[in-house]
Amino acid sequence: MKKLSFSQIFFRIFLWGYAFISLYPLVWMLLYSFKNNEEIFVSNPFGFPKTLRFENYINAWSQYDVPVYFLNSVIVASATVVITIVLAMMFAYATSRMKWRGRNFARTFVALGMFIPVQAVLIPVTRVVQDLGLSGSHWALIVPYTAFNLAFATLVFYGFFVGLPVELEEAACIDGANIFQTFFFVIVPTVKPAIATLGIFTFLNAWNEFILANVLVLDKSLKTLPLGILFFQGQFTTDWGAMGATMVIASLPTVLVYTIFSNQVEKAVTIGGAVKG
Amino acid sequence: MKKYYGNKLAIAVFTLPALSLFSIMVFYPIIQVFYKSFFKWNGLSAGTFIGIDNYLRLFDDKLFYLSNKNGFIFAAVITVFQISVATILALAVSSVKLRGRNVFRIVYFIPVVLSVTVVSQLWLSIYNADTGLLNKFFELIGSSYRQNWLSDRNKAIFAIAVVNAWQWMGYQFALILAGIKSIPTSYYEAAQIDGASPVQAHMKITMPLLAETYKFCLLISVTGGIKAFTEMFIMTSGGPGNSSYTLTYMMYSSAFRSGEFGYGLAAATILVLECLIAILVINRVFKTENTSEGA
Repeated sequence: MKKLSFSQIFFRIFLWGYAFISLYPLVWMLLYSFKNNEEIFVSNPFGFPKTLRFENYINAWSQYDVPVYFLNSVIVASATVVITIVLAMMFAYATSRMKWRGRNFARTFVALGMFIPVQAVLIPVTRVVQDLGLSGSHWALIVPYTAFNLAFATLVFYGFFVGLPVELEEAACIDGANIFQTFFFVIVPTVKPAIATLGIFTFLNAWNEFILANVLVLDKSLKTLPLGILFFQGQFTTDWGAMGATMVIASLPTVLVYTIFSNQVEKAVTIGGAVKG
Repeated sequence: MKKYYGNKLAIAVFTLPALSLFSIMVFYPIIQVFYKSFFKWNGLSAGTFIGIDNYLRLFDDKLFYLSNKNGFIFAAVITVFQISVATILALAVSSVKLRGRNVFRIVYFIPVVLSVTVVSQLWLSIYNADTGLLNKFFELIGSSYRQNWLSDRNKAIFAIAVVNAWQWMGYQFALILAGIKSIPTSYYEAAQIDGASPVQAHMKITMPLLAETYKFCLLISVTGGIKAFTEMFIMTSGGPGNSSYTLTYMMYSSAFRSGEFGYGLAAATILVLECLIAILVINRVFKTENTSEGA
């Protein structure tokens, strides 16, 4: 057995130490979602709950509108994913493989979106959403979310389409397929991995989005989970266990998606790096 | 094939939805930001053109300087923390022979996939002066270092920045780790043969080859600092007083609280410009570094 070098020991300590820093706050949240106020604040702030109080989850779910928030988040996030991917794929195909004047301009134009922070355009976007009559429906979030995810998605699909061999379309053309058939049945299947990666990436973005939702959703029945948690803060600061439960419920879908597709999520993050640099 | 690739109907069907959505929801708004920043506008009427008065007022506003200072502090804290911790962790994960390395990777990345609202709310209870985890911890180890973390004018912005640094460290970690993995192992084998220690190998091989990755990490954390908003919105409402204001917060409260939309948009314009300048400067710095190396 080789003796561990200094750097190996240092690295190990750092790995475990930061793992604790990274995870303990989340474990603490999970634990307090099963405790009552007395345990959280006085008798047992750090450790495992003495009894698992599942009633916190039942209370959160049945008394505090959590199912409404959850459903809204599901609707908004899934619609955003589907529409973003369809629009981005079509646009990227037309700008990467089809021949027309202005295609480079169109591509650069949409790519500009990478440099426009949501924060900066908050005020006019609110106006546009109102003027289009989208307020009061899920579209008030789906439409701007899609628009802001387009730039990145088109860049990624562009990268994939540019590299495809021309023979793909030639073969389909000879077989008598028109361009729409070729696109949907020949081209789209070749970029399935990119669709999966972008789908997950867009889902995480939409599920967690707060800044736009905060100004665009006024109707209580349309609030998504990130807003619901804040609403909770104002109304029921006394019931910490139920609030913890709500936070766990809000986080569960993204954490699950990440642990199942961790490679894909990290790949999405890193192509983000390649594209933006 | 020429006819196929030049199908006008298909081009229209494929591009118009994305083009129009982008134009209406992103491009038109950003033009509006610049244009309306020259107006006195309450958000309802057409507004009156007042030239650069909003900007003059902005440059005369103490809050504007405080917001910029906070953005700078925020950016500095998250940049230093994230890049240094992420680098050490990425080197550790890629060089330590350890079972369960993937578990470490997942643990570091998990905070990234949580909603900023959940994270802010969580840290609000961690920082709570009476019942929070942090003060309880100091109590536990018998220290009297209890703090009102978020209600101290000078400390609040640092406390908030730590939350962001904690949440997004995993993002930079994933980027740097991917960068390290893309370096061929033969480089390190060659270095080893030449008698370089692992630390030397990383300093001479890993770091220079990761210039692009670091550029991107820097872009994210610096612009992230300039744009900071949600954490202060939830944790301190910009307070105590105005002490944790940022440019975005200033824009938000001018427009949605005081109804001064034109003034808010002037702040938004500065926000966009600062982000662009940061991007240009960082790109420039990394470019000159690369060329000087090549020479």
